[in-house]
Amino acid sequence: MTSLSVGDALTGFERQITQDRVDAYAEASGDHNPIHLYESYASTTQFGTRIAHGMLSLALVTEMLATNFPNTWHDGGKLKVRFSAPVFPGETVVTYGEVTAIDESDDGLIATCTIGCKKPDGTDAVAGRATVPLE
Amino acid sequence: MAAPLISTAEVGHKFGPYDVTIPTERANAYAVAVGGDESPDYGDSLAPIMVVAAALTELIEDLGLFSGGLQTVHAGQEVSWERQVKIGEKVDAIGKLAANSVRRGNHFATVSVSYQDSTGEEIGTSSTTIIVSGEASS
Repeated sequence: MTSLSVGDALTGFERQITQDRVDAYAEASGDHNPIHLYESYASTTQFGTRIAHGMLSLALVTEMLATNFPNTWHDGGKLKVRFSAPVFPGETVVTYGEVTAIDESDDGLIATCTIGCKKPDGTDAVAGRATVPLE
Repeated sequence: MAAPLISTAEVGHKFGPYDVTIPTERANAYAVAVGGDESPDYGDSLAPIMVVAAALTELIEDLGLFSGGLQTVHAGQEVSWERQVKIGEKVDAIGKLAANSVRRGNHFATVSVSYQDSTGEEIGTSSTTIIVSGEASS
C-alpha cells in the first residue's frame, strides 16, 4: 500500500459485538473473567452488566491494519493504544484510522496512523497510534 | 487468603515463560469472535494480537487479578511484531514487571513481554498497563 498519502483514511469497518463473539473470544484468549461472561456477576461490578474484552476491540483495530497493510502489518508493525471506554455486548463499533505521517527510515518508508474503534455514541473505546512499514 | 501478587511484586519481577502456542481450535474461536466479510485471509498463520491476548491471560492469573474484591481496568496496550506466527507454532512469552505503583488508592502496573520462537529469537514485544482497585491497593 505504497500509494498512501498523509491525510488518507484507512478503510475501516463496522462490527456488532454480540455476546456470542465475546464468548468465542474468551475461548480464543483463555480469558474467562466472569465480567465478560456472566450477567449475575457482571451486574455487581462498576459496569452493571457484561462488557467485552478490551483486547477484542483492539483485535478489530488490528484486523483493520492487516486489511489496509496486508504485506507489512505483521512484519514490523507497532501500535500503542489506550482503552477509553468499555464496549457492551450488542453494541456496534466502527474501526477507523488516518495516515498522519510518512517518514523515511533505515528500513524504508514508515507510515504513522491514528487508529481506533468508536462506540455507537461516537466515543472511543480504543484509540492510539500505529506505525507500519510501507514496503 | 494470600495477598495477590500485584500487591507485593517489585519492579523487575519476572513472569513465565508461558507457552502461548495457539492451537487450531483457539484460532478458529478467534475467527468467530473477530472475523467478518472484510477480514484478511491469515491462511495457516495467526493474528499476532491473539498471542498477546493469550499471554495477558496468563499474566492476569499470576498477578492474582481474578481474586475476589479486585476490579481491574485494562488501561493501555503496546504491541510490536516482527513476523507472522503459524497456528501451532511454539511461542514462549516472558514477562517483566516494568512499573507498579499506588496512586490515590489504585495500583498502576505495567508488564512488558517478549515473545520468542523455538530458536529463542524475539518475534514480538508487548507492554500492558492495568489499573487495579480494591483489596490490592489497600
